[in-house]
Amino acid sequence: MADAKEVKVPDVGGDEVEVIEVLVSKGDSVDAEESLITVESDKASMDIPAPFAGTIEDIKVKEGDKIKEGDLLALIAEASGSSDDGDDSDDSSDDSSDDAEEPEADSDESDDEQAQAADDSADEDDDSGEAKVIDVEVPDIGEDGEVEVIEVLVKEGDSVNAEDGLITLETDKATMDVPCPEAGTVKEVVVKEGDKVKQGSLVIKLEVKGSGGAKKAKSKDSGSSDAKSKDKQASSSASTSSDSKEDSSQESSSQETSSSRSRKPPVPDHPLARKGQSEGIVHASPSVRRVAREFGVDLSQVKGSGPKDRILKEDVQQFVKYELSRPKASSAPSTGGEGGLQVIAQPKVDFEKFGEVEKVQMSRIQRISGPNLHRNWVTIPHVTQFDEADITELESFRKSENEMQAKMKTGMKFTPLVFIMKACAQALREYPVFNSSLHEDGEHLIMKKYVHIGIAVDTPNGLVVPVVRDVDKKGIKQLTEELNEISAKARDGKLKATDMQGGCFSISSLGGIGGTAFTPIVNAPDVAILGVSKSEMKPVWNGKEFVPRLKLPLSLSYDHRVIDGAVAARFTTYLNHALSDIRKLLL
Amino acid sequence: MSNEIKTQVVVLGAGPGGYSAAFRAADLGLEVVLVERYSTLGGVCLNVGCIPSKALLHLAKHIEDSKHMADHGVSFGEAKIDLDKIRAHKEKVVGQLTGGLDQMSKMRKVKVVTGKGEFTGANELKVVGDEETTIKFDNAIIAAGSQPVELPFIPHDDKRIWDSTDALELPFVPEKMLILGGGIIGLEMGCVYSALGSKLDVVEFMDQLIPAADKDLIKVFTKEMQKKYENIMLETKVTKVEAKKDGIHVTFEGKNAPEKPVKYDAVLVAVGRTPNGKKIGADKAGVDVDDRGFIKTDNQLRTSADNIFAIGDIIGQPMLAHKAVHEGHVAAENIAGKKHFFEPKVIPSIAYTDPEVAWAGVTEKEAKEQGIKYEAVTFPWSASGRAIASNATNGFTKLIFDKENDRLIGGAMVGSHAGELLGEVCLAIEMGSDAEDIALTVHAHPTLHESVGLAAEIYEGSITDLPNKKAKKK
Repeated sequence: MADAKEVKVPDVGGDEVEVIEVLVSKGDSVDAEESLITVESDKASMDIPAPFAGTIEDIKVKEGDKIKEGDLLALIAEASGSSDDGDDSDDSSDDSSDDAEEPEADSDESDDEQAQAADDSADEDDDSGEAKVIDVEVPDIGEDGEVEVIEVLVKEGDSVNAEDGLITLETDKATMDVPCPEAGTVKEVVVKEGDKVKQGSLVIKLEVKGSGGAKKAKSKDSGSSDAKSKDKQASSSASTSSDSKEDSSQESSSQETSSSRSRKPPVPDHPLARKGQSEGIVHASPSVRRVAREFGVDLSQVKGSGPKDRILKEDVQQFVKYELSRPKASSAPSTGGEGGLQVIAQPKVDFEKFGEVEKVQMSRIQRISGPNLHRNWVTIPHVTQFDEADITELESFRKSENEMQAKMKTGMKFTPLVFIMKACAQALREYPVFNSSLHEDGEHLIMKKYVHIGIAVDTPNGLVVPVVRDVDKKGIKQLTEELNEISAKARDGKLKATDMQGGCFSISSLGGIGGTAFTPIVNAPDVAILGVSKSEMKPVWNGKEFVPRLKLPLSLSYDHRVIDGAVAARFTTYLNHALSDIRKLLL
Repeated sequence: MSNEIKTQVVVLGAGPGGYSAAFRAADLGLEVVLVERYSTLGGVCLNVGCIPSKALLHLAKHIEDSKHMADHGVSFGEAKIDLDKIRAHKEKVVGQLTGGLDQMSKMRKVKVVTGKGEFTGANELKVVGDEETTIKFDNAIIAAGSQPVELPFIPHDDKRIWDSTDALELPFVPEKMLILGGGIIGLEMGCVYSALGSKLDVVEFMDQLIPAADKDLIKVFTKEMQKKYENIMLETKVTKVEAKKDGIHVTFEGKNAPEKPVKYDAVLVAVGRTPNGKKIGADKAGVDVDDRGFIKTDNQLRTSADNIFAIGDIIGQPMLAHKAVHEGHVAAENIAGKKHFFEPKVIPSIAYTDPEVAWAGVTEKEAKEQGIKYEAVTFPWSASGRAIASNATNGFTKLIFDKENDRLIGGAMVGSHAGELLGEVCLAIEMGSDAEDIALTVHAHPTLHESVGLAAEIYEGSITDLPNKKAKKK
């Protein structure tokens, strides 16, 4: 009677829960109903009890693990006769008969599941031991909200290699491809153009060559590595194939699909998106539909907070409030309604009257960044401080250093920009108000203890601003490498949203092109931006004579609500000194 | 001479839709004139439709039920029919309701103008009654309803050829009667005349009685009807109707047609209703009317003329009083400046026959056509204690769920009081209830309406009053 029995996670009323405490250890003897572990779901914490009395042979989970129904929890050697009421023998015979029925139950299951959704085909394939179907999800894209799928690059039946793009997503700042994690065949494409997805959204089902090995090995896998990475659905169906007692796990997986389905539409994010949402999915009573009509709210956009995601009147009210409070997006280019800026509309001009014209679509990035630029331009009181830095020494040092590097064939080549970045980082440390953001209440500043600098990069698709992190802590070489890397990514359109987030201050360098000065627009929530123009040899009076000095024009635009003119002048002066004598950068 | 009235809103037609629109508009502070061609308010529904037919059906049901009582140990003897008294009773019922409407219009200061109204312009309506009245209005609501379809080959003038209005007048109890049209109206009147002692035939062009309802319901229903009718001729049509001295001779053609013409003492023509859109001078007001006489509206009930709304039978199927009433409210509210829409998920249909047939939402037929992944569950009343005790075991309750999300999308029942059970289904659908919601709602026992909850339990797999096919799953 002392055979170790598997104890599995019972129905925990949710998808995944975290183990927050393990209450027993190997060798402990436990009574039936004694708590083994404590888990915490998003709703509550609960103890998982031992199903029968016995001795703990092994504990398969540890604190911090994410577990779900059907996962192996522990091995317990069942105590003979020692437990309550003597119905223990009944228990065990029940158990063993359950075990015996297992295969039958399994086959029942798959019968049922065939009728179910396509994802169950994963199971069958799994069982065959040749190929398996994995779910490919949207990885961390650095966006909290949902982003739109603008292109689907694969279709069912396509063979794909690892790293092949599957779909293209568009975030506020850039577009990016979701790469294929493994080579295989596309079994099913779950998303379509126009869908909103976020981290964890299912993209495709991919059939990959199985790693070989018998079923047993695989079922163990599914407990550990599989479950970690794969989508909840997949893992729950994987556990279905490997574990028994799946009656209820099937239920939970179907609940999951239905809840994730109904959770998907709402998220009041993009007023124009999501047209195809079928009316039937919306879950709102007649009175709610009437309120929605009164406000012109598309209910498929509203997240329901009632039971089973029902949309309540309050949800519609919240939605309207939210929509009214958020800045007007691209839809209203003529008036920045936000601040009550009442301007007359642009007059319509029939350009064709004056000659041949052509209508060309603006680039995607332009279309996205336009409204943001416009908002920043009209809402931030800009002042631009001009200055010229003497970079004669810097340039001679840089050039000789580059020659050295070339001789040593390191491939390293320093640009003026990294020195400017380094000088800015130091200036931001010296004048921390430049390294701040205005709090939305307009009464506080958020002071940043880190120095991340955004670099405007001109790409074929338009202007993007990737961010180099911790500039103050990095050396010129490291910055050069990072800048090269990130610029290349920008030009290839491979920047992730996270690559463009977290900046404190921006630099826009047109020095390679020309110009004497310009007035850059502050990239909110930054409070300042440095524009750099083309350096020029100028005669400078040194007290006795004019000497030729290489002068670099600097244009510092800043948010005058946050920064006073005097501080701005000090900032550029400081920059000036740092660039004139880069030994100062060591200080 | 002609009077002239100025008003904010004129409502043309005082049926359920019209008076509801008028009263709602008045309650929203508008000045309202209600135009009705007949001397009593209430339209077809109250005067010659829903209400008088229900008064007669009530009697019919008791006559029929009393016959069966003998089996249960209670005998009443042969029913004695006093047609005049029945007619008087029916008229009293109607009078009570229409009288109530008169009072309510007075309370609401809705001015009633009696006479036939026709538009003479975008803001003018001429009413011809005992005197002529010109009504200048800002907004109008057309609620002019429909009337029975007349067939060209039928001599409708003959006193023995009836439409539903004639039949409700109870002119006499024909010995042998033909119901032309196997829809709700004809079958309801059939129940009345069957109870009064007529021998009945019914002829229907489609392959089932009440063609709109699902087959399984109608199967039960038809079985009951076979007890009342001598001959149910499906997939058959009438080709000739001759009024002779000895009776109405009717010639049939089709699958179940008798070879020779059949002689009837009366023929009830109940082949549908046609809208009155062409009789109101709509074109003069700029209101578009289609070939069949329907007025097209948007989902705020606005016609092609901005200030004119239309509701009820005249704007399309289903021609049902409860649809018209809700539309009337929405039209009045929109005139009052609200932004309301008429977009219910379901409009219920009920045949008040014996047994009753009731359905709402998607029928199984429609679900199939629309490719909905649905599951239909049926709770037979033979398993209902209340039905057994009430001699109503021939009925059943059917619910249709969307399998994608378990929500109720349709429901139907056949049996005694089926119509009274339908309300829950309508509410559940409007509220987006799923099977679990309905199954977890405590239904009183023993009732017929608990069959709705029990049907949901069948879907859920938690039913205990029947063998549970899904027992293993839960």
